[in-house]
Amino acid sequence: MLRSLIRALTMGMFLALTAGAALAAPESRDPIKVTLHDWTGQLVTARIMGETLKKAGYNVDYVQADYLAQFAGMRTGDLTVAMEVWATTAKDAMDEAIAAGGVENVGETGMQAIEDWWYPSYMKEKCPGLPAWKALKDCAEVFSTPETAPKGRYLGGPVTWGGYDDERVQALDLPFEVVHAGTDAAMFAELQSAYDRKAPILLWIYAPHWAPIKYQGEWIKFPPYEKACYDDPVWGINKDAKYDCAKPRGPIYKAVWAGMKDKWPGAYKAVKAYAFDNKEIGELAAKVDLDGQKVEAVVDEWMAKNEDRWKKWLQ
Amino acid sequence: MSLTAVGEPAAERRRAPLGWLLWPALLAATVVLVSLPAGALPAWMTRYPAAWQVPVAAEISAFMRWLMESATFGVFTVRELTRGIAWVLDLPLAAAKAVLAGGIGWGRGAETVSLAPAIPWFSALIAGVAAGYWAGGARLALLMGAGLGYLAVFGQWPSAMVTLASVLVSSALGAAGGLLIGLACVRWRWVERAVSPLLDLAQTMPVFAYLLPMLILFGFGPVSAMIATIVYAMPPMIRVTTLAIRAVPPEIRELGAMTGCTRAQLTWKMLVPSALPALMVGVNQVIMLSLNVVIIASMIGAGGLGFDVLAALRRLDIGAGLEAGLAITVLAILLDRFAQALATKSARAPERDPERAARKRRLLTGAFWVAALLWLAAALKPDIAGYPEALRLSTAPYWNDLVRWINVTFFSTLEAIRAWAFLNLLAPVKRFALALPWVWVVALVGIAGYRLGGFRLAALTVALSLFIAAVGLWQVAMLTVYLCGLAVVVAALIGVAVGVASATRPRLWRAVETVIDLLQTLPSFVYLIPIVMLFRVGDFTALIAIVLYAVAPAIRYTAHGVARTPPALVDASVMNGCTRRQILTRVRLPLALPEILLGINQTVMLALSMLVITALVGTRDLGQETYSALAKADIGKGLVAGLCVAFIGIIADRLISAAAERTKRRMGLGR
Amino acid sequence: MTDPILACRNVSKLFGADAGRAVRDGRVTAGAAELAAVGLIPAVLDVELSIGRGETFVIMGLSGSGKSTLVRCLAGLAQPTAGEILFEGRDLFAMSEAELIRIRRHKMGMVFQNFALLPHLTVLGNVAFPLDVQGRPRAAREARAREMISLVGLTGREDHFPRELSGGQQQRVGIARSLAVGPDLWFLDEPFSALDPLIRREMQDEVLRLQALLKKTIVFITHDFDEAVRVADRIAIMKDGRIAQIGTAEELVLNPATDYVRAFTRDAPRAKILTARSVMAPVGETTDFAGEVAAGARIAAFAHDVEQSDKPFAVVKDGRVIGIVDRLAMIDVLVGRERKTAA
Repeated sequence: MLRSLIRALTMGMFLALTAGAALAAPESRDPIKVTLHDWTGQLVTARIMGETLKKAGYNVDYVQADYLAQFAGMRTGDLTVAMEVWATTAKDAMDEAIAAGGVENVGETGMQAIEDWWYPSYMKEKCPGLPAWKALKDCAEVFSTPETAPKGRYLGGPVTWGGYDDERVQALDLPFEVVHAGTDAAMFAELQSAYDRKAPILLWIYAPHWAPIKYQGEWIKFPPYEKACYDDPVWGINKDAKYDCAKPRGPIYKAVWAGMKDKWPGAYKAVKAYAFDNKEIGELAAKVDLDGQKVEAVVDEWMAKNEDRWKKWLQ
Repeated sequence: MSLTAVGEPAAERRRAPLGWLLWPALLAATVVLVSLPAGALPAWMTRYPAAWQVPVAAEISAFMRWLMESATFGVFTVRELTRGIAWVLDLPLAAAKAVLAGGIGWGRGAETVSLAPAIPWFSALIAGVAAGYWAGGARLALLMGAGLGYLAVFGQWPSAMVTLASVLVSSALGAAGGLLIGLACVRWRWVERAVSPLLDLAQTMPVFAYLLPMLILFGFGPVSAMIATIVYAMPPMIRVTTLAIRAVPPEIRELGAMTGCTRAQLTWKMLVPSALPALMVGVNQVIMLSLNVVIIASMIGAGGLGFDVLAALRRLDIGAGLEAGLAITVLAILLDRFAQALATKSARAPERDPERAARKRRLLTGAFWVAALLWLAAALKPDIAGYPEALRLSTAPYWNDLVRWINVTFFSTLEAIRAWAFLNLLAPVKRFALALPWVWVVALVGIAGYRLGGFRLAALTVALSLFIAAVGLWQVAMLTVYLCGLAVVVAALIGVAVGVASATRPRLWRAVETVIDLLQTLPSFVYLIPIVMLFRVGDFTALIAIVLYAVAPAIRYTAHGVARTPPALVDASVMNGCTRRQILTRVRLPLALPEILLGINQTVMLALSMLVITALVGTRDLGQETYSALAKADIGKGLVAGLCVAFIGIIADRLISAAAERTKRRMGLGR
Repeated sequence: MTDPILACRNVSKLFGADAGRAVRDGRVTAGAAELAAVGLIPAVLDVELSIGRGETFVIMGLSGSGKSTLVRCLAGLAQPTAGEILFEGRDLFAMSEAELIRIRRHKMGMVFQNFALLPHLTVLGNVAFPLDVQGRPRAAREARAREMISLVGLTGREDHFPRELSGGQQQRVGIARSLAVGPDLWFLDEPFSALDPLIRREMQDEVLRLQALLKKTIVFITHDFDEAVRVADRIAIMKDGRIAQIGTAEELVLNPATDYVRAFTRDAPRAKILTARSVMAPVGETTDFAGEVAAGARIAAFAHDVEQSDKPFAVVKDGRVIGIVDRLAMIDVLVGRERKTAA
């Protein structure tokens, strides 16, 4: 802010000095605020977008913001771009914000979100029927702990992630109890601990993420999701309950502040054009999480190697 | 005073027979109520009827929406005002960050003109050592060198400087604000009356609860984090200021009047400087509390070490998380010792030997010039500014391996402990807490309030607990009470035992003190994740984390209380032929009781403040309510849940303080 | 008293709620017990006194007698519940705030029991403090402060901090500070009570020396009758908020107005208080004198000579013999035996 103050005072001089330095003249020098969340894949996508916009001469600020709380900031223009809005977890929040005004959905990133019950491969020996969901009915004991015995224990995500797991257990009549982790860090801590000991575990894993790359395992095969499953009790195996199916797999969207189109039309187009797929992002995230590289370094490397990709977004 | 002193024991005696019967009777009644079969009591008694709920949360949310979207002062809107405040507060923060971390310059993006880089690590190290020598002599200089060296060698430097910048600015603003508010409290009674309940709230309410309103009022980013930090860290400064200024000897005030001081002269030339050593204690507290919320602040964009800790733990790099966490501890220790040295410096005799004074001065100016020249050199040749990668150390892999090893080797033992604790301790207490009819709990709290502090206290405790019921959070609140209560009991047992053991053994005490200092300054998140790996997600993990964090005051106050037994009494009991054990149980412990109660009071407060952190490992109590309200941007829900936590804290605080006061009076130790 | 610099008229100070009404109702005349019954603590009751220019006036009493409260009223630090304090004929509490500040800055100085030195300032800074408050330029105020420091004999310690000084030295700083503005009226509130007996004596001498030099009007508070006797021109003895008696030390010893004053003065060092005039016997027939003593001379000064001699000494005033003192009279005084006294 000190900088922007001084900048305001010396604006005239600067415009003269820096004209023509950038690829194309940006429409506004106000910073575009790109939100960062708490998982690595998102940090990578957001930074690739941000660095691309910087190459085009825009000013970019990265802002730590809560995944769901960010829409409140985006409606007022405090935040400009959210690079990963997962259909599985935040679509409701985004749609609500769009309805209230101020937020715009600018399409899919090309990545597909998977979020469901997952187990490490070594559990197949202890519970042979996997990955079919019905196998869980017979090997609940294998997954049980003193708190849940005789029921099995399923480690769900933080309560804030939603996901209707308690309802799913009811609807499919699974002998399991849902225990919610407070954060994904806690969740993966448990996975790591169990994985080291080859101990039983059944938990919520999502992709794109480094976990399914680092750990050998599979998602449970529930009856595939259909919209009717979540809306209509009659649908599916249990005629009296909703949620008797897998979780939706869905695209990951990008969302922007509605005013962006007018303020930075070029940047708006670039965000719209941005595209990636699960594998690429998963690999980049793994470089950070598993090889211990810095997000910035990984992004810089990608930017250097893939100039044609990001240049295309800018056109 | 003399009247009450005479009247009190008589009243005490008269009430005593009832007193002996009252608590066992209440306990029996409670057990009966809990074991009653379902349906024996009217439904409205066991579960607070939904129809009676007051929609406070929704109304707060609606009010905030109105405030931010339509409220206006005519010329400008509320929103413009709060954003203006944020802009002003950002100036010092940006300046500090520029000097310490970002580099001085202007412009942004492609047009950045850099004037000078941030102060490089070697300049800062030299300046830090010199400042340490100036403030506290060779010992502090050594400590500064070691601490800053750790930050550089272990690769924490850039993040540590971001954290340092924000902690310095928020502590400075917090201390200055606290001083001014404190002075206003001394000057005007009505300010004190208005501020005092707010302080209680600010100290007991979880930070998460007001983080969201901050974000919405002041925008996303470091400034909101800073304001939340200030709100959290300022209250002790206000309290210390009012106490310290009131404690200035009346003669100094009279001197002020007799020399014809104006009010401003009296305040700034006499009262504040005279109270300075005491005020520095408050400043110290502000710094420590600011460091306490570094992690939480990093969740809304403060960056720095807090973010590193979170990021490392998110990828399960426990070693890296520990190193970043220790960097926070190092910063805490350095700032703490430096502030203390400053406070005592004014109380020490200055150097009189002119030659030595001159040598010291030459040394210091020399060091600062070297630091400045090195900075200049770094500005001209930027590649030398960073700490060379090749010389970096990291112990992270060892820590990771250690945790893995413990996990693989001892898991079954740990699992057995956990299962035992769960089945015999956690589960029964939880069932008990949830089975209590809310009406009875409110009544109990009221009776306790009346017995300990009279009608006013009873009215307060009943009103606060009714609020919790009325907003419909009774069940979650009881979960909170269960988890915190259990943690406090465990912490108190450990704390009293350790405190008693170390009170009369100075060497043991030094070791204990180091450990509890570490536990209090190390961000709890750092040990939370390894505990999760060893004990799984769940209440037991949360219990351990809370006990680890909250045990410190119980130990400290017990040790202090026991050690402070008047020597004459100890001598007297030795002469009466008491054994060591008898001296402890018959003399030292009873006399230390009020002090121990105060320690437990602090333990309760810390346990409550830890709730929010344990929400991160999946507890389902009020902490989780405030945390998930933050994630869902539900201001009303967050604030109401936060208020409930605060109210539980206030009820506990008032009851325990009243009990401590009563025992003190009974023993004639009080005022 | 032709020109009182400070006077107080019917001053009362009560603590407790509704103190003002009790005074208006005229209940001040009631006893302490009656006042306590309605929740009032009387600290000063109906005090009337006036202090002349150049006089050293001592207010003496035990703790709780109200002397500290009285001096705070006199200095304008505490507003009396009733009555008025006249400084140079003007009521202190009828003045504007600015006027009161002006008077205190230039005409009053005060020395405190516990020194009240500012811990963050050096000796020089403390002594210069009252001048700093007035906004005098640094050079001027430090020059004046150095002058005061040398006056109290602390030269060389200007840059020490109060905590580096002994109690006696600290109080010398307090004295230097109170004199820095050149006050007309000098309050000393139990200035030496916190000091060791030996130092106390030395400091009393210091005050006497300064008084001989500077000729201020002094209001001196003490609980120590010996101290009062050493420094006082006149002494007011207080008990339970009222003034029991005002007079010179000799008057108090010889003519105590109440039993309280009598009890107080009984063990006083009479030889140092009483003068020849007050113990002399009528001249009678004798003309054979061993020598002469002045009527105003203290007994301690000539007792030795009188005892050595068989013959009496003549008490002389204005060259005229007005009485005699003999060995017997000396012994009476020294053992405190009461006999015929003429005062």
